[in-house]
Amino acid sequence: MTDVRVYISGMGIISPLGKGIPKTWEAIQKSLTGIRPLTLFSTASNQPLPVGEAAGPIEDESLPRTHQLARLAADQAMAKSKETPDAVVMGVTTGGMLTTEALLKKKARDPKLFCLHATGSVAEDIARRYRCTGPALTVSTACASGAAAIKIALEMLRSGSVKRVLAGGADSLCRLTYYGFNSLQLVDPESARPFDQNRRGMSVAEGAAMLLLVANEPHNAVAEILGGGLSCDAYHPATPHPRGQGALAAMQAAIEDAGISVADIDYINLHGTGTLDNDISEARAIDTLYDRQKPLMSSVKGAFGHSLAAAGAIEAVVCAISISNGLVPATVGCRHPDPDLKLEPVIQPTQRPIGTVLSNSFGFGGNNAAVVYSACGKHKPNRTCAQTQPMAILSSACVTGAGNANQTMKAIAAGKTCAGMLGIEEISANLSAGDVRRLKRFPRLALSLAIAAHENSGESDDPSAVFLGTGWGALSETSDFLTRLFETDEQFPSPIDFIGSVHNAAAGQIAMRFQATGANITMTGGDYSFEQALMAAGLLSNSIDDTFLVIGADESHPQLSRLFDRSASGSAILSDGGGALCLKAGPSASGFTIQPVFFESRENNPEVISSLIQRLERPQQINDRYGVILAGFPAASRREGEMQLQTLLAITGFNQPVIDYRKLTGEFASASAVAAVMAVKFLHDGQIPEALCKDKSVELGAKGALIIGTGDFITAMEVMPQ
Amino acid sequence: MEKLIKELQVKVVEVLNLIDVQPDDIKVDNQLVGGDLGIDSIDVLEMVIMIEKDYGVKIDNRELGVKVFATLGTLAEYIHKSSPELPN
Repeated sequence: MTDVRVYISGMGIISPLGKGIPKTWEAIQKSLTGIRPLTLFSTASNQPLPVGEAAGPIEDESLPRTHQLARLAADQAMAKSKETPDAVVMGVTTGGMLTTEALLKKKARDPKLFCLHATGSVAEDIARRYRCTGPALTVSTACASGAAAIKIALEMLRSGSVKRVLAGGADSLCRLTYYGFNSLQLVDPESARPFDQNRRGMSVAEGAAMLLLVANEPHNAVAEILGGGLSCDAYHPATPHPRGQGALAAMQAAIEDAGISVADIDYINLHGTGTLDNDISEARAIDTLYDRQKPLMSSVKGAFGHSLAAAGAIEAVVCAISISNGLVPATVGCRHPDPDLKLEPVIQPTQRPIGTVLSNSFGFGGNNAAVVYSACGKHKPNRTCAQTQPMAILSSACVTGAGNANQTMKAIAAGKTCAGMLGIEEISANLSAGDVRRLKRFPRLALSLAIAAHENSGESDDPSAVFLGTGWGALSETSDFLTRLFETDEQFPSPIDFIGSVHNAAAGQIAMRFQATGANITMTGGDYSFEQALMAAGLLSNSIDDTFLVIGADESHPQLSRLFDRSASGSAILSDGGGALCLKAGPSASGFTIQPVFFESRENNPEVISSLIQRLERPQQINDRYGVILAGFPAASRREGEMQLQTLLAITGFNQPVIDYRKLTGEFASASAVAAVMAVKFLHDGQIPEALCKDKSVELGAKGALIIGTGDFITAMEVMPQ
Repeated sequence: MEKLIKELQVKVVEVLNLIDVQPDDIKVDNQLVGGDLGIDSIDVLEMVIMIEKDYGVKIDNRELGVKVFATLGTLAEYIHKSSPELPN
């Protein structure tokens, strides 16, 4: 048990208001706005909508704009630091989309050109840049991503597993978000006017902000992060709960996590997008939170615009500036506060000592995150932190080209491959017509897995939190949105496809199905997405009393999978599916546990296998602890992965079965989720099927299973008997 | 007008992927949104785009949308009145 306090020791920002802290501070003092008509790409209309464009990145096909923005912010955050960060955690939703759109428009077909499309490639690029060899995690929870990334980074530091984390968010403008939000009639044609009685919507923007977070106080600390709270509305895919129930829950959770009371908050940095529904919902939530005098409040989205995944991180910087300089930013754009909201936002920049700030970020899928920042040492935390513990497995489910869990396990027991794709009707077998009317392949896979895992648990209570890992998200919706956009000369985008294309839309559907109002996290880390989701679950599980779902799923798309996923590009047949686990924190009366135990990159890390062995051989030798290794070799890095495994086997002398699971599951990013379900099945049966062990069945006894990921990252998860 | 209504019935079912709903099930004077058909605010936005694309009629604010999408009849009437592509 430790008492870890987390500080911001460096920060960087690039936004429509400029690059760097001094420029941002100056713009806030002067109430400037960075929102202007779009110039970044041409549009069909002669009157482009107002957006927040950042000056700084250059046109460069080899490095997408989001990556450039992230680098520009991260360089500032790391400027005074000599030590490498132990981990990178970023909120990203658009990733390389702006570049991808241009490539798809000109019908480019070389997968190499799309190698930085993935949202996860931004955090990986930043990790590489500072020679970080630890986890590079990507949170894609729409407009709550940046704040959720900071909360996850906070929990990593509290767990004691890392000492320094570079965390934040980045997103560039792209056609998908520009046209998508407009198709939902959520864009104010005059520029965002948060909380104004004449407001008509948001202004889509771009930017990045990065924070170097460190455990225990450094000499140069800017501010302290006291706590964070996550919740899900479980109400609607794109509209916030009308009374702000989810927003309220996130704020209350953050305040509780921070160990303070509502009266301690001097300033609330509101989400305040300027849409009719967000501002009502947030105002109602604040009204419920405060029965007496409310603190100062403002939204900066009339100045910065809404930079989606970057917003929570940009606003973390704004909060830190506010604390350091005793400055409350104005609600730029709000001239006539809406009397119905009973909110009284700050209209002029106001000098006032600010000790503690609550910052809100809410997004599609009903995702909510709130973070509490304070002056260093202002409050004493009353919480103790503990290392993450194994999570009890209540049940599992999977889908592959061979069918559901029973069919998949039957095929695997016979040593047959499950590669391929099920028909859409088969995927939807346990979904009702009403469930699936607007859902394409990926959300159907994810929802179907969630329902099956919950049913298999036999639990009457519904799960309260959802952790979903996906390498590529909703490819069908993304493809259909862009195809129609381009075919109609950028005039008639589909609002339904836009809402569905958001990476966390599927997790939002699962939350709605189960009324899961707790944390709702979508991680998008390529071939290691399921591992990242499990890691997020492990970090947050202490605050979840009920059961929760950890899911890994991916759809294969006939065009996009071969362009985006290097492992799918070279495969003879496309495969997809996933796995889901219904889990509970702490030990369970019977059954097995799962825990992520290792996550490091191979780059700049020649000792990565030794480092893995060191982690695994405590307290027992590998041969005593594990009866089987399930090893994942993504096709794109198979040869290297096999060498990595050979090194592991040679050093440890592991002499029990090793199963090359992608040969059984087929190639898709979240295949490791199916491997986890296989491990549970083997432990349940007490043996490994003969067909997988050179025709003799191997008893597992009291041993567990180790699931190893190879390639760009080396990961390990263990499934153990209790 | 009748032709337009028939056409809209088919389009609404198709565009919104209304499984288990036949075009004839969408009655001219019945509540279109929030009723038995399961059509909600997201569907309204998809219909807005379809109507702009197919009939050149814009419905770009919520107040107008509430009136126009009250029933299939009000929708047809509005399109009929506003469309440059339909003879008045």
